[in-house]
Amino acid sequence: MKYAFYPGCVSRGGCPELYPSAVKVADKLGIELDELKSVGCTGAGVLPQNISDPINARTFAKAEQLGLPIMTICSTCTGVMAQANYRLKEDPNYRDKINREYLADEGLEYKGTTEVKHLLWVLFEDYGIERLQSLIRRPLKGLKVSPFYGCYLRRPPEAITPTKELNRRKSYLDELIGILGAEMADISGKGKCCGFPILSANEENSLAMVAKHTGESKEKGADFMVTPCPLCHLNLDGNQPRAEAQTGKEIDLPILHLPQFVGLALGFGPNEMNLQRHIVATTNVESKVSMMS
Amino acid sequence: MQVTFKVYRKDPEKDGKPGRSNYALELPEDATVLDALLKIRDESDTTLAFRGACGRGYCGECMMRVNGSARLACTAKVPDYTKKGPEISLDPLRNVPVIKDLVFDWDAFMWNKIKQVKPWLEPGDSPVNGENLVADLEMQDLRKVMSCFYCGMCDEGCTVLPVDFNFLGPAALTKAYRLAFDPRNKDSREQVKIVEKPKGIWDCVHCYEADEHCPRGIEPTKRIVALRDRAFNSGITHEAVARHHASFAASVKESGWLDEGRLAVESEGLTNVKGLMKLLPTAVKALARGKAPIPYMHSKRPDAGKIKKIFEKAEQEEK
Repeated sequence: MKYAFYPGCVSRGGCPELYPSAVKVADKLGIELDELKSVGCTGAGVLPQNISDPINARTFAKAEQLGLPIMTICSTCTGVMAQANYRLKEDPNYRDKINREYLADEGLEYKGTTEVKHLLWVLFEDYGIERLQSLIRRPLKGLKVSPFYGCYLRRPPEAITPTKELNRRKSYLDELIGILGAEMADISGKGKCCGFPILSANEENSLAMVAKHTGESKEKGADFMVTPCPLCHLNLDGNQPRAEAQTGKEIDLPILHLPQFVGLALGFGPNEMNLQRHIVATTNVESKVSMMS
Repeated sequence: MQVTFKVYRKDPEKDGKPGRSNYALELPEDATVLDALLKIRDESDTTLAFRGACGRGYCGECMMRVNGSARLACTAKVPDYTKKGPEISLDPLRNVPVIKDLVFDWDAFMWNKIKQVKPWLEPGDSPVNGENLVADLEMQDLRKVMSCFYCGMCDEGCTVLPVDFNFLGPAALTKAYRLAFDPRNKDSREQVKIVEKPKGIWDCVHCYEADEHCPRGIEPTKRIVALRDRAFNSGITHEAVARHHASFAASVKESGWLDEGRLAVESEGLTNVKGLMKLLPTAVKALARGKAPIPYMHSKRPDAGKIKKIFEKAEQEEK
């Protein structure tokens, strides 16, 4: 099982704890990663489509040359690339135009065959839950966990949940919490936005969203929240102290990246998963986990 | 079919306190929620206030929450909401001033916001024989948007409105798109500039909730994204967003990928001491926890030059 690995900027930039955790987990699972090193940023929904689509088409063409599907560890990368891929696959004329105008110079061509998948989807759709279960060394019993998907991993339907069967993608994280032995602390905003995209335009609203989601999770008794999106992590973890200051209410909810959560169940120690690098201290999670092993 | 409706009540002429009335009804299998409300008002409680007009999902008047989710009462079939038990709750929309019972303030919810986007067309060309003609093909995309019947479902589904009621919201922003992208419009930048102000397009988180809620498939989020792309390509006028986007674009153009350290600082503005100071506590924590590398480095991607070439060509194409 091998993928063209697209780790994304944040997993080595704002969340440097994510990249090594994901690589360790993939290695433990026996997922082989061929990292795409010479490709560009997806645009993250910041760059306009007329600029980001050709850059993404180039990434898809590079993976196509390797004959591998793309695996990401970021909801935003997945969402932006899946939307671009949908446009390029659906409209051969558009694809031809991009190939002609942007990729031909390099001798590249995107034929429209590359698949883009988040690690979360890979676990359920390619790897198999039974195989994952067989590798669990530390069932996370007694931990209460809230899911937070990152809105780019939920919508729009034509790119993210194109078939009735794939609609299940909207509940993978919920299911995974149970599979790893933990208990779910469900929250109403798990599929909503974390507020990160409007941090520059409207910081107050952005932080209000952080307080809303993390506050609800805390009220439901969660030990931590898990997210497959490092941009959500930047806001929910990195800006949680500022959200607390804005609302005048203590929250103190650790936020774990998806690979860290899976890694703990596979038997990795909290330090091996770089939990100590978060802004919101993960001490309580670490002590509960150390009691288990 | 025996169903009990638990209906939100609020009467400003009495004490104005919210409460709930229960009505047990016998209904035919094909009854809609609006049928049930009409039956209640005709047969048991003439004081119950709600809106409804066309009765066929066309006018949007009867929008309310049925078992917690926004629905048009006239198209919501009662049996679809009794699968978990013979009780149905009816409420007005969230975060909207309620006038009485299920009647809420549409002006505050949507119409005042639509008025803000200058919702009319000023044609640039002089009319020929009294008409401003436009090719049918050019109107294809807009025709979809023009099918909006202002039910407000997109605003109800919006992620931002619950934290900020003054956000213009997807319905009004979609109206702005309808005008900005009309080929007859004299100045296609005018509506874009209006919605670039605070509480407009840059406050949208583009989470695509609105698209999921729209009963007409108009895809309001995609319209907002198109307005943002137009703003980006013709020069962003919102100061903070312009700084953020310029830094993001420069970073991708120069190195192929995003330099987040640079983005955080440049988004605040290099001379904005107050803005930079608020980043400080998080930055200190990040350094202490090994989250931010020392010394701070951001390297170019191996094919950065090729990515830059694509970027610049795409920019040029748009001009």
